[in-house]
Amino acid sequence: MSFISIRSVTKSFNKGKTTITPLEDLSLDVAKGEFLALMGPSGSGKTTLLNLVAGIDSPTHGELNIDSRNIAGLSRAELTRWRAKHVGYIFQLYHLVPILSAYENVELPLLLGKLSKADRKSKIMAALDLVGLTDRAHHRPSELSGGQEQRVAIARAIVHDPGLLVADEPTGDLDRESADSILALLSQLTREHNKTIVMVTHDPKAAASAHRTLHLEKGQLIEQNLQS
Amino acid sequence: MLPFTYALRNLFRDPSRLAQTVGGSALVVLLLMVAVALNEGMDSVLSASGSSKNVILVGKGSEESIERSEVHLDAESAAATSIRGLDGRLGTSAVSGEIYYQAPLETGSGHKDQALLRGVLEKALLVHTKVRLLEGHFPGPGEVMVGYLAHRKLGVDADELSLGMPVKFGDSQFIISGVFAAPGTVLESEVWFDRNDLATLTQRDTLSAITLRLDSAELDDVQVFSLQRNDLELAAMGEDIYYSKLGVFYQPIKIMIWVTAALVSAGALFGGLNTLYAAFAARIQEMATLQSIGYTRFALLASLIQESLLATLTGTLIACLLAYFLLDGRTVPFSIGTFTLTLSPLVILTGIVTGVLLGTFGTLPPAFRCLLPSLPKALRSS
Repeated sequence: MSFISIRSVTKSFNKGKTTITPLEDLSLDVAKGEFLALMGPSGSGKTTLLNLVAGIDSPTHGELNIDSRNIAGLSRAELTRWRAKHVGYIFQLYHLVPILSAYENVELPLLLGKLSKADRKSKIMAALDLVGLTDRAHHRPSELSGGQEQRVAIARAIVHDPGLLVADEPTGDLDRESADSILALLSQLTREHNKTIVMVTHDPKAAASAHRTLHLEKGQLIEQNLQS
Repeated sequence: MLPFTYALRNLFRDPSRLAQTVGGSALVVLLLMVAVALNEGMDSVLSASGSSKNVILVGKGSEESIERSEVHLDAESAAATSIRGLDGRLGTSAVSGEIYYQAPLETGSGHKDQALLRGVLEKALLVHTKVRLLEGHFPGPGEVMVGYLAHRKLGVDADELSLGMPVKFGDSQFIISGVFAAPGTVLESEVWFDRNDLATLTQRDTLSAITLRLDSAELDDVQVFSLQRNDLELAAMGEDIYYSKLGVFYQPIKIMIWVTAALVSAGALFGGLNTLYAAFAARIQEMATLQSIGYTRFALLASLIQESLLATLTGTLIACLLAYFLLDGRTVPFSIGTFTLTLSPLVILTGIVTGVLLGTFGTLPPAFRCLLPSLPKALRSS
């Protein structure tokens, strides 16, 4: 049974009098613990697909099951609640809250639950430890390097232990060395923590870290590569 | 919900925007507090000036203005002897025939301004029971007694209208023989002359009005008297009703106060909204990120409102402090007297409610603009 099951999904929206269809009749399965990379030129629909899988957006048609739950028909509020438990989102530009420290940024998803302060602290420190930033816990984003900021963003994405991580060009704004360490971290999360990761990237080297790479063009799947 | 510290720290992201929001809300709150204090002060002095136990007899057709009224001198003794159940002391009925006049008065320093003059005999104290001599004595010929706030009406220092100081009316000089208080009433802004002096100076052989203080008698009894003595051409009305009618006369001024406050507030409000639009627009992506984490739009709206409330309530606090130091106890002269601005519970409540409304309803339009875009679009915004 697939962790992510996408069946005949179409996403279209109106822009003025024109209907744009970034994804058309797409079907896809992703296994639990799989690291999937999505590649394609701008406008190919890869970010749209990522947003659908993350519950950020809803398909116009089709079925979208994540961990046996069809999220295609959920309302915006239901999707928000679902994301809080099941998804961790990693952005290209990290999207950390600038007025909060690394610790407080990582704490954000936990504040949605009912954990005690002590429980939250132990989870936050575990997440920061996993990304190697315990010594930077009380630094604000402006006091961190790009690579460190992305590590904090990953800690924030995993702290509440979601089954699914989605990453939108997580290494797009980093130097090679930082990018490699982030990719290694993502691989570690699939390998050691059984997280399912869907990552959009333009970087073939980043895609090579994934188990499988899908190439999209004009909203359709045109090629699949399996890494050894 | 987002932690309160998030709202608190967001306040200090942009100190200049914070200063604008706090300053703008302080201005709006202070203006509305001033408007309420002015209206309340005016209402309060008018309602306190009229007693339900007093009845005024004026010339028929002059019910709107005592100044224009003319009452025959004989009416005073006729009322005192004909109406049963009037208040009185030591055989003197509480009936006071008075001359009421507005004219320029010159103080010892040469400052000349419009003053409220009342020509009375000592029995006036039997009807104006709030009047208390603070110092000196009741004026005899060549003397005047000044109200505690008369200097405010004249626009001079209190020293100029203190005991023993001279004042000039026309070419005649008078010495201040007494200073009186009549808390919360228009009387406190008046200058009281010996009635005969004022009659001579104004060349009047009539009274302006007669004030009677009722004991067991009622307004109807006085009205019956005015009908029976048709020859005197009198009209009777309760003193409290007279002053409440004056309140209606001042309604346009009150409306103007509100309109002015509303216009300036609207300007400050739009400025504040603009600041909030800019502040929130810069955080659309951050709001979208928090939604992607799992925060509902309601939770984010609550946090934005918390943030605005912190700013507007700080502004409210500043406005209250300014009002306390600059407004409370300040006297404001108007055409028939002087009233005092007071930080009453209503004034303070107006300030707090204004601050809360600014912080909540003022936040909604920019917050909606920030939270309504679709999540994918908001995440892409820069």
